Amino acid sequence: MNGGTIRRVVVVGNGIAGLTAADTLREAGFDGQLTVVGDEPHPAYSRPALSKALLLDGADLSSHKLPAAGHGADELLGVRAVGLDPDRRLVTLDEGTALPYDRLVLATGSRARRLSALPDELTLRGLDDALSLRGRLADRPSVVVVGGGPLGMEIASGCLASGCRVTVVSQGPPLTLQFGPYLADVFARAATDLGLTLVETELARVEGREGNARVVLHDGTVIEAEVLLSAVGDVPNTEWLAEAGLVAKGGDAVPVGPRGLVRPEVAAVGDLAAFPTPHGPRRLPFWTSAVEQAKVAARALLVGEEAPPLRFQPYFWTEQFGLHFKAVGRLPPEGEPSYIEGGPGGGPALMRWSHGDGTGTAAALNYRIPVPRLRRTAQAAA
Amino acid sequence: MKIILDRPRCEGHGLCEEAAPHLMHLDDEGELVLDVEQFGEADAGPANAAVRVCPVAALRVA
Repeated sequence: MNGGTIRRVVVVGNGIAGLTAADTLREAGFDGQLTVVGDEPHPAYSRPALSKALLLDGADLSSHKLPAAGHGADELLGVRAVGLDPDRRLVTLDEGTALPYDRLVLATGSRARRLSALPDELTLRGLDDALSLRGRLADRPSVVVVGGGPLGMEIASGCLASGCRVTVVSQGPPLTLQFGPYLADVFARAATDLGLTLVETELARVEGREGNARVVLHDGTVIEAEVLLSAVGDVPNTEWLAEAGLVAKGGDAVPVGPRGLVRPEVAAVGDLAAFPTPHGPRRLPFWTSAVEQAKVAARALLVGEEAPPLRFQPYFWTEQFGLHFKAVGRLPPEGEPSYIEGGPGGGPALMRWSHGDGTGTAAALNYRIPVPRLRRTAQAAA
Repeated sequence: MKIILDRPRCEGHGLCEEAAPHLMHLDDEGELVLDVEQFGEADAGPANAAVRVCPVAALRVA
């Protein structure tokens, strides 16, 4: 074991990655002092729900709620970590105090990338963002969403379902970067059939003054709406780690080893961590990645190299415009799939793409299938 | 201890089946079946992992 007795573990971040790390530490037998620091006042919640059911649910405001934490940690909520001294093993908090640790989990996640500093430009990243947007939708405002990725399209779908007039401004056809042209086309047709306005552009800016912001396209076209929202990627929350020397040079993520460790006594998991992949270190900002990374890293903090490394293929899902989509394997897949069940057209279908190297991508569209079977489908010989 | 399913919340992701395959599975219709509802200390780890991994909190342990 590295670094002597483990009496105190600090987990910075109370999203699903931090929560799972804290749970796993307990499950693996750590019975010392456990402290969880979270910058939001809320208990941990399910972030994927914010842009899906939470925008839709009638009066039900519970779709994001997770079962109460069972780890029995001291929870410091509404408190932000502002610095780390890895040599003295101290985390500094914004309230002025410092927490000593024997082991540390970095799980401060990421935040929405913005196109402007204007408060008119809304983003959807946290629970407060979602509740605030949900409140705005009650008046059925016109909405423009900048960003044609899965999040932007989910938000647009929620706004449309609330009865708003919605425009999505996308760099190229929406979802193409993530899903490839074949699937992207299925989604675009479903979206436009429901009344979504799609605008493709090379570049979009958010301009204007507070109270009067608008979207300006590369050709000068101006798009105005009562609600302006951007969904243009995320930025890891790692500024507080800059002086600790744990952030990749020229980047903003924390590179980790195959067990999520930065140093023997420090782990990084979730949206801020760049795990080794066949394509180099990559952030894998998905729900299942956060969970699996946290499990592996918590055990590695306790037993080092004896803990198994991460072996994991992320699972991705989205719900939008009446389509429920699940996928395992590399995205975007190239070309057209073979149909294991169903056929083209957006109906219930189970699809597979072969990548030539023995691996594959499996995707289910409006087709209920448990993840283990979807994984087997992805791995099946072509 | 007991696993409790809030069926209307279940979206059939099946991540719970992956976490605790001997306690639950999705049937051919994609509906979650709890093969073991009452479980002992030995299964507490997988059961809690199944509860935790559900992105729609359709499961809980009581």
